[in-house]
Amino acid sequence: MYRNKRSMELADVEVWDGNVANSHALRQASVDVVSAYPITPSTGTVEAYASHNANGYVDGEMIMTESEHAAMSGCIGAAAAGARSATATSSQGLALMVETLYQASGMRLPIVLCMINRALAAPLNVNGDHSDMYLANQTGWISIDACTPEESYDLVLCAFRIGEHLDVRLPVIVNQDGFLTSHKAQNVRPLSDDAAYDFVGDYKEVNSMLNFDKPVTHGVQTESDWHFEHKAKQNAAMMASPKVIEEVFEEYAKVSGRKYNMIETYKSEDADIIIVCMGTTYQTAQVACDKMREEGIKAGVVMPRVFRPTQMDKLVETLKNAKAVVCMDRSAPGGQTGLLYNDVTAALFNTPYRPLVSNKIYGLGGRDINIGHLSTIYKEAQAEVEAGKLDGAIQKWIGVRGPELKYYSVEG
Amino acid sequence: MSCSLIGGCTPPQGNKEIKNLKSFSTAAERFEGAHVLCPGCAHSIIVREILNATNDNLVVSASTGCLEVCTAIYPHTSWDCSWIHIGFENSSTAIAGAETANKALRAKGRISADTPEPKFIAFGGDGATYDIGFQWVSGCFERGHDMMYVCLDNEVYANTGGQRSSSTPIGASATTTPAGSHSYGEKQHKKDMLQIMAAHGAPYVAQVAPNKWKDMVKKIQKGFDTKGPVYINAMSACTTEWKFPIHQTIEVSDMATDSLVFPLYEIIDGRELNITYRPKNIVPVRDYLGVQPRFKHLFKPEYEYLIDEWQKRVDKDWDYLQRREESRV
Amino acid sequence: MAKEKVITPEQEAIAKSLYKSTDQFENSIWNMGWDELVPGAACFSFEGEIDHTVVNVNPEDRPNAETNSINKYVGDWRVVKPVWKVDLCIDCQNCWLYCPDTSIISRDKEMVGIDYDHCKGCGICSEVCPTNPKSLVMFDENTKNEDALTQWPEKNTKGE
Repeated sequence: MYRNKRSMELADVEVWDGNVANSHALRQASVDVVSAYPITPSTGTVEAYASHNANGYVDGEMIMTESEHAAMSGCIGAAAAGARSATATSSQGLALMVETLYQASGMRLPIVLCMINRALAAPLNVNGDHSDMYLANQTGWISIDACTPEESYDLVLCAFRIGEHLDVRLPVIVNQDGFLTSHKAQNVRPLSDDAAYDFVGDYKEVNSMLNFDKPVTHGVQTESDWHFEHKAKQNAAMMASPKVIEEVFEEYAKVSGRKYNMIETYKSEDADIIIVCMGTTYQTAQVACDKMREEGIKAGVVMPRVFRPTQMDKLVETLKNAKAVVCMDRSAPGGQTGLLYNDVTAALFNTPYRPLVSNKIYGLGGRDINIGHLSTIYKEAQAEVEAGKLDGAIQKWIGVRGPELKYYSVEG
Repeated sequence: MSCSLIGGCTPPQGNKEIKNLKSFSTAAERFEGAHVLCPGCAHSIIVREILNATNDNLVVSASTGCLEVCTAIYPHTSWDCSWIHIGFENSSTAIAGAETANKALRAKGRISADTPEPKFIAFGGDGATYDIGFQWVSGCFERGHDMMYVCLDNEVYANTGGQRSSSTPIGASATTTPAGSHSYGEKQHKKDMLQIMAAHGAPYVAQVAPNKWKDMVKKIQKGFDTKGPVYINAMSACTTEWKFPIHQTIEVSDMATDSLVFPLYEIIDGRELNITYRPKNIVPVRDYLGVQPRFKHLFKPEYEYLIDEWQKRVDKDWDYLQRREESRV
Repeated sequence: MAKEKVITPEQEAIAKSLYKSTDQFENSIWNMGWDELVPGAACFSFEGEIDHTVVNVNPEDRPNAETNSINKYVGDWRVVKPVWKVDLCIDCQNCWLYCPDTSIISRDKEMVGIDYDHCKGCGICSEVCPTNPKSLVMFDENTKNEDALTQWPEKNTKGE
């Protein structure tokens, strides 16, 4: 077993922010190579990890590269050489490394990326929204979302198991809201170092460049005669991953007592109005949901825990009985409806279920979304249900000072 | 399975002992034929010379470019060693990642200490090295990884049809800086990568050319013996983009080194400079330019002054190299 | 001085053995099924695992995988081909050194032959051959080697 030689005594309940929580998960997983570059608000993950390293708690290597693209390139080189590798980034850094994200997934290397979600410039903004998560949505990485430091800690440990599984062999992103989770210290009940490493296990090497008994060429060129098959095979692994993800979540529940699901739900079974959202909004929406229930609205909340691959069947299962579904996207849509709206409507279209589905763009650049906003959303959706139709448009922008912005009108 | 082992059953390590060309020729090739590089391609000659200079296990990378595209087209690979290509910028960082992984896995005992240390080599064209991957190479050298970076310098983006790079010399006609009635081609000076990499404090940087094989192999082996990042700028005469006949690769290379357009020297620890090749007969720059149609427009009366300027520049640079070597700074 | 140089059948066989047509492989990569696709399109140099370092073993004796380019044929690139006149050769190894296609086969410090499956006919070998007349001369691809040997150019008295 290749756990770190020096272990840390952790309390039953630690108070960690999202970055520190990530750093402990990386430490406990005994990552071989962390190749990273700092960017707000993910810098804390790298700094805390560097601190563990400097104090002798990390047996692996850490390299601080000269850009995020180089950070991911280093991870890819290390992973191809048979090492467990991981890094952290946000926003502009993610945007810079997008090219390498496609390369990593195409080369089927199980790297873990701790992503602290932050808005994309321009204008420049360091605060939390989901633009970077959305930018990475077609890169072939499994993408999982966390709402709290504890969830991020848990899901990073799971990410190694999921990505390294021989039936998957894909890289994994674990997302959390910038500042709202990454810089907010909350209770985390960590596993002990031993329990965590036992769960993650030893790294399984596949086609390592350092195995000189079997020299291998990685990163070939395929043209029209072979490219399609290899991309299809990669996608097939992605589509087969939910089975592995669910098994890992089951096993993690036994070790930690915390059960994660492909899609998280809160009071959605009998809900008329369901909000679909991700990140810390999921937690705020639960409070708003309870408030609405007191006022007689049958509210519910749904969060895709596993954002990619898209869980169409489970979306249908959780949303089919609703009368209205409000898809809240925390990313500048760039002239379209938001990705959660697209995922939900795509899932429902080929079924007989026809709730009213609307799209809200909110919270860009760290603009607050609070219980008041969400309550209003529930109430307005309730009114739409009673009217039997959407109130004029599919997409509305929530919380902007200025005119009421709505797009994709629906009349009659 | 049976095999004919050269030198016995114990795997030899380290640099190959090369007394002369005949002893060099006993190397067991690790770069196989039937790649799709152009007939007469100097890249291939350089790679063979480098790989044949060592008996060590190898981890090799290449940037997107001629070498990568022509030697690893699915489903064939020409490399009898582990090899990786990620993208255009990052062959250096790919190798840095592998080198770091090697350190980590050895420290953890996942690779046994009995396994001999491999050599890490990153290849990149001049486009990848001088331009798009410049930052990546710089980062690797600043971090001091134990690796060798070889720039295969054919002075253009050859793989995509010959666009200019910051290695393209003044007056060369490249497809994005073509010669025409109102232009003599490339207008910028060739970037001096060797000085730049030396300024990183790299323990060893050197310029090599495949035609001077003994000089090249000596430097490569010195590079392999050096701990830390080593930068090798390898002159690669490109028949397709420099537009000379395919059988003249070595001849043109000879003119490049003998005209001192590509002087062969090394810089140790970023300071001490040694000239390693002094041509018996220095070839005029004009003659070197004359055998390459990419410069043919320079022989028109309105552009001929550029040839004189070029000769002056080469003379000045050669003088500088000699003075620097003499002063032993 | 030209010596009495004779190529043994074994040496000749080496040059010929480097190329294996894909017909000889059971599972030709061109018929590769879905399950055989290696994730990430990784290609192996050798079949299975090798138990010794590769520099100990000449290419013809390695368990080259079907995906090793040594098994490809690029001889059809040629318009002209090099022909080797054995008794003029001094085994200087220039041609071995400068062949971009690993097609000049040298074993035990002696030239053994030309790998015509991998030779692209660039002509560098002939250019760098120092003997007079050259031991390697380029002929039209369609010329038979035995005919070429009878049409060998005369010694060049002007030098070079």
